[in-house]
Amino acid sequence: MLLSRVAERLYWAARYLERAEGTARIVREHSNVIVDLPLTIPPNWGHLLGITGGHEGFDERYEGADEASIVSFLVADPMNHGSVYSSIGHARDNLRTCRDILPTQAWNAVNDLYLVAVRGAADGIQRRHRSRFLEKVIAEHQRLLGILTTTMSRDEAYTMLRLGRHIERGDMVTRVLDVRAGLLLGERPERAELYDDLQWSSVLRSLSALQMYNRRAAKGAGAVEVIRFILGEGTFPRSVAYCLAGAQSSARELPLSESVLAACRAALLELSSSDPNALLDAAQLHSKADRLQIAIGAINDRIAGAYFGHTAWPS
Amino acid sequence: MADLRTIPLLWDELVDAHGNPRPAAAALVERLRAMDIEELQQRQGLAEVDIVALGITFTVYHDGKGTDRAWPMDIVPRVIGASEWARIERGLKQRLSALNRFIDDVYHDRKIVADGVFPDELLQDSVNLRPECAGISPKFGVWAHICGSDLVRDADGVVYVLEDNLRVPSGASYLLQNRAISKRAFADLFERQSILPVDDYPDHLRRLLVSLASDELQGVRHPQVVVLTPGVYNSAYFEHAFLAQQMGVPLVEGADLFVDTSNRVWMRTIDGPKPVDVIYRRIDDQFLDPEVFRKDSHLGVPGLMRSWCSGNVAIANAPGAGVADDKVVYAWAPDFIRYYLDEEPLLPNVPTYRCLYDDELDYVVEHAGELVLKPANESGGYGLTIGSAATEAQLAAAIAAIRADPRNWVAQPILKLSTAPTLCAGELAPRHVDLRPFVLSGRDTYVTMGGLTRVALVDGSLVVNSSQGGGSKDTWVVEDS
Repeated sequence: MLLSRVAERLYWAARYLERAEGTARIVREHSNVIVDLPLTIPPNWGHLLGITGGHEGFDERYEGADEASIVSFLVADPMNHGSVYSSIGHARDNLRTCRDILPTQAWNAVNDLYLVAVRGAADGIQRRHRSRFLEKVIAEHQRLLGILTTTMSRDEAYTMLRLGRHIERGDMVTRVLDVRAGLLLGERPERAELYDDLQWSSVLRSLSALQMYNRRAAKGAGAVEVIRFILGEGTFPRSVAYCLAGAQSSARELPLSESVLAACRAALLELSSSDPNALLDAAQLHSKADRLQIAIGAINDRIAGAYFGHTAWPS
Repeated sequence: MADLRTIPLLWDELVDAHGNPRPAAAALVERLRAMDIEELQQRQGLAEVDIVALGITFTVYHDGKGTDRAWPMDIVPRVIGASEWARIERGLKQRLSALNRFIDDVYHDRKIVADGVFPDELLQDSVNLRPECAGISPKFGVWAHICGSDLVRDADGVVYVLEDNLRVPSGASYLLQNRAISKRAFADLFERQSILPVDDYPDHLRRLLVSLASDELQGVRHPQVVVLTPGVYNSAYFEHAFLAQQMGVPLVEGADLFVDTSNRVWMRTIDGPKPVDVIYRRIDDQFLDPEVFRKDSHLGVPGLMRSWCSGNVAIANAPGAGVADDKVVYAWAPDFIRYYLDEEPLLPNVPTYRCLYDDELDYVVEHAGELVLKPANESGGYGLTIGSAATEAQLAAAIAAIRADPRNWVAQPILKLSTAPTLCAGELAPRHVDLRPFVLSGRDTYVTMGGLTRVALVDGSLVVNSSQGGGSKDTWVVEDS
């Protein structure tokens, strides 16, 4: 038995937490790769805004798209609903009202994560503290996931969390691919291709995918292989294929899930419908990412319709 | 460490007037005396870290937005001997039995009024009387299933009942959390003596709630119990969630429930509507059902009273139970015990002057400076005037208010509340305490082992409410050795 209201809050809490971790990984990796690039390739911080949901709220409050502003906006800005700090706060607000459902330890872990964010976000935007802070956020979220995995019954509440996590991660992966790979495939400064291996590796690292990719591919980070891996590698938990399959198998555990399953099938079909070689073009890749995001959004809408009680109830 | 300070002529819970430990507190006092203040402060600091990490909070509204604050707890426990506690427990069971009989009588034949023991006029304008409840017969004849009674000890060592909270008393979760924290802070003492456990409260509560379900469900399905909360902005939300979690039942808000045309209660789940049989509500009567009570309530469930009156759902505490939770009705509690049970009260009331009666009103007006003046229906320490601390103008205003509405005022002598050593500003200082045990009434009655000790952290203050700067302590009921 799971209340509709609680289902909605669990689903969104999982999405917010996944978003916080995903953003933390992206900012951490970007901070790392920037220092390896030559001065002829200007550090592009602005495109990170595209990954996490656009310029909304940024342009009016910040002077320019420099490192300090972007990192502050993405990590610590309480006015940015998608910042690491805000996401953790939203997740905690949602879970506060599900405390009867969560294992006690899990709530404690949510609180710890929240305290890390509250205490560390302001300092965490400075370069010398940044990695440590972002790693702490990632590690605390991983601890929470570990607690949930090892102490929570595989009931509807757990499934709802899992569903939210897969939907958010799948969405995030398509954005990373769209923006970062799109930059590499588009028009670029002279001799930038010398750094392609480094840059494609960095795309993988933003998704913590490099090590698993290397074990699988074993021939360096080429564009087609990277795109294929990130979209379609069903064994890797941060690929679009894995996230969609995860959403699908979660939905199968839930009652009244026909509409959600249909949307999952449609998204998987969209995923498998193109040859990665055809995506080696910024415009093609962008439109593919767009269609996938729309398909994932459709799953989200079906979930809301089926479970969150926004449709009429018998009385 | 220096000796534990006490205040001359006041009762201290841990040491007597000569500085000797009270028998039940011997091991604790020995431990405290062997410890330097830095070590004690360190343990207090660790406890506070635990409280933040565990997210034990309450919500305050002074700032207008409802901010979560860490639960204030002093790690030095308050100790009560098991034999004294056994007497108190018997007294509470007796008292609750009589109070429930009174409530049931009020909503049925009012024999107590017919027999001239209780004045009819008090019922006529009681703000907590619910005419809608007349004639309803909750299972076991019990209306106040969960009660938090406030006990205080006067300078002579006698324990009095100060008030009975019969509507939606809170604090039970903090009692359990305080124990969890104090087990960490004084692990060694828990190994060396028998401190009676409190952790079974949620089990007793769940059993009580299940037992309230309609008998018609027997053999049909296991009764579905829910905890109904006004939501995350309520000051006791932490407790609602904690108790639901400990009992393993859903925590619902009003919008999660609906009542159908055949007066059955359902909850909205991801698998469609599911029936609800027992509601442990943490919402005041007035907000329970907009069809019957406040029309503007968004916290309640339209039709809930219909369902309850048809016997389809049990509600704890029953609507209308608050009729006995009134500082004026309180004055009659000893009479209820004599009238309904034909017994003498085991736990005394604080002597109470009822302004309703002219002679008692005259006494109150004459001696206002030596009394506590209390309005009937305020809680949380609001609205009362302590005569000895009030200015002339404040006293005059209170007397005017009493004269305007004597039925709604009582007065009591100013008790010299007992103290317990409390860590304040780097020393152990005596601070006033009270005690709130919880009483569960159904087929039979259960009393928590000890209760929630509340402590006034400000020197000389008698106000223990957490909403007004009070703190809390763990309460140890220690087996006599």
